[in-house]
Amino acid sequence: MIDVKKLWTKRRNAHVTHTLKYFSLMANSGLIVSLILLIVIGSVYYAKLLQALPENFPAVFILTIVFSFWLTKSPIRTLLKEGDLVFLLPVESGMKQYFSKAISSATATGSFFTLFIFTLLWPIVQVFVHDGWKMYVTFGFFLIAAKVFNIYVSWEERRLPYKSHQTNYKIMRFIVNFVYAYLLFNEAYLFLIAIFAIMYVLKNFVFGVFKKQHGYQWEMLLAEEQALKMKGYRMVNYFTDVPALKQTVHKRPLFNSVASFSFKKKNALSALYMKTFVRSGDYLGLYVRLILIGFLFMYLIPAGWWQLIVVFLFFQMFALQLFTLYTQYRWNVIFMIYPIKQDTRVKAFQNWLKNLLIIQGVLYGIFYVLLTGDWLIAILMPVAAILYSVVRLPSMTKKHITLTS
Amino acid sequence: MKPILEVTDLTGGYLPNQPVIHHLDFTVKENEIVGLIGLNGAGKSTTIKHVLGLMEPMSGTSKIEGQTFREEPENYRSQFTYIPEMPILYEELTLWEHLELTAMAYGLEEQTFLTRVRPLLEEFRMDNKIKWFPSQFSKGMKQKVMILCALLVEPKLYIVDEPFVGLDPLGIQSFLEYMVKFKNNGAGVLMSTHILSTAERYCDRFLIMHEGRLVLSGTLEELRMRSGLENATLDDIYLYVARGKVT
Repeated sequence: MIDVKKLWTKRRNAHVTHTLKYFSLMANSGLIVSLILLIVIGSVYYAKLLQALPENFPAVFILTIVFSFWLTKSPIRTLLKEGDLVFLLPVESGMKQYFSKAISSATATGSFFTLFIFTLLWPIVQVFVHDGWKMYVTFGFFLIAAKVFNIYVSWEERRLPYKSHQTNYKIMRFIVNFVYAYLLFNEAYLFLIAIFAIMYVLKNFVFGVFKKQHGYQWEMLLAEEQALKMKGYRMVNYFTDVPALKQTVHKRPLFNSVASFSFKKKNALSALYMKTFVRSGDYLGLYVRLILIGFLFMYLIPAGWWQLIVVFLFFQMFALQLFTLYTQYRWNVIFMIYPIKQDTRVKAFQNWLKNLLIIQGVLYGIFYVLLTGDWLIAILMPVAAILYSVVRLPSMTKKHITLTS
Repeated sequence: MKPILEVTDLTGGYLPNQPVIHHLDFTVKENEIVGLIGLNGAGKSTTIKHVLGLMEPMSGTSKIEGQTFREEPENYRSQFTYIPEMPILYEELTLWEHLELTAMAYGLEEQTFLTRVRPLLEEFRMDNKIKWFPSQFSKGMKQKVMILCALLVEPKLYIVDEPFVGLDPLGIQSFLEYMVKFKNNGAGVLMSTHILSTAERYCDRFLIMHEGRLVLSGTLEELRMRSGLENATLDDIYLYVARGKVT
């Protein structure tokens, strides 16, 4: 018989070590510097923003919305693995202990992040709702209580066999959370107690009943666990390569025309790279985000020729991130045996990257002109993109190929 | 008959000084289907990897149309298509885009592609799934995508690794019919499989591997003669070899 408690401890420890390893990798990567810079700049602007907010700013409403979503979303890492569907099914009755450990752990992280988000928003609460450390403690306490309730109840919700039924109950929880948060930030404690009563009834007589009617939905639990794991990996992937990352595919039919090429042998791989870029998980998102962050930097930094350096740095960041796409098909045998020369392959990749860099450069240029009206530097931005792809890309590709092969 | 694939004294493996396959000699000629047979771990996949040009031989050569991979990589690889044991698909591409990419990569004209692709899709009953993504396909359907891509190119040589697993009976039948048709048009096929009854019916010659060596090869008649098993089926001969009775 498997000791499920030990199994949980073993998996949690492995998970923690794994996470820490990735953290150290992240800390070593270049992107972390830009991130810290961004946080510093962000906090300065947060303070400025607070002062600039009008008196009638709907702070309570916004806080309510934020926390309704946050409280309703109750992810639980079960640390299940694919093999469990075969090997743990026989001990299903004993899994209660395993899952209760998972719930406790989710409660701990959930409470921590609830407090974290509340602390981030605390300056707004101070200005628009109520100041003082007693209020911080009170609000914090009530929010964490609601979070714990949501995690417990949502676990029971996960027993429902159909996604649509789960969604219905999720909507119900959202409404309860909305009312709860609204009353809390209006400091209507008497009504809050009434909501507590409702929550008690929900927990014991609505969600509590599922336990008797349904078993565990193993496949859904596994799917959730894998989705959460991938989410984590995707975040780390901004900083460093994550080989285990399975990209989710989005169809994005809007971009189909961008990724269509004329029917020629030399276009085969360009078409493949473009389609992968447009549809595969986060490449497109990363591109858009880097462009937007670039805009932000251009906006924050005083106008001048040094903006070209900023733009250059963003080209570099983008190109570095995108080299993962080059290695994506490294072990794909079908890809390897195409009768296409090695340097044609490399060229296809570079050309594709060049086009994206030029688009990036043009967008930066347009933004710069709108911002400053300085045409010269604006035009130099796409030129910098071309220069970058001609001068820097070949040596980068060379280095990358020798590193990865 | 002209040989398409010539493997001469091929030795190779994954670690230096530890070859997995030893001194293989065989050919695949025009108009023939050659069955590559052996137990799990006999070295079939390693042999195929050498033929594909994915592994470098320690000694000996693998030539297609008289050229090795080292001499003319692009030319070498444009002579054959490969159907892997486990389907390998691009998660980001639809069925249609897989076919299109394959056609482009192997240098087909667009018109040729369009005339070939429709009947293939209909034959394998995939014509209503051209906009599907791999995540929507079952294992058998993924295998069909691999088969469609390989057949589309109509190369001189087909290298096929265990094509029947997961394929429905109609799919198997269609695949075999295509193989026979292309064979009669002059192509050669090297097919690794465990489904011996099918191999017995469709292959013209057999290569039986055991522990990295080619222990028996020839037509069914020749195999019977060499093993001394009269009227034996391919199954019998294979079991006989697999138990180490032939060295």
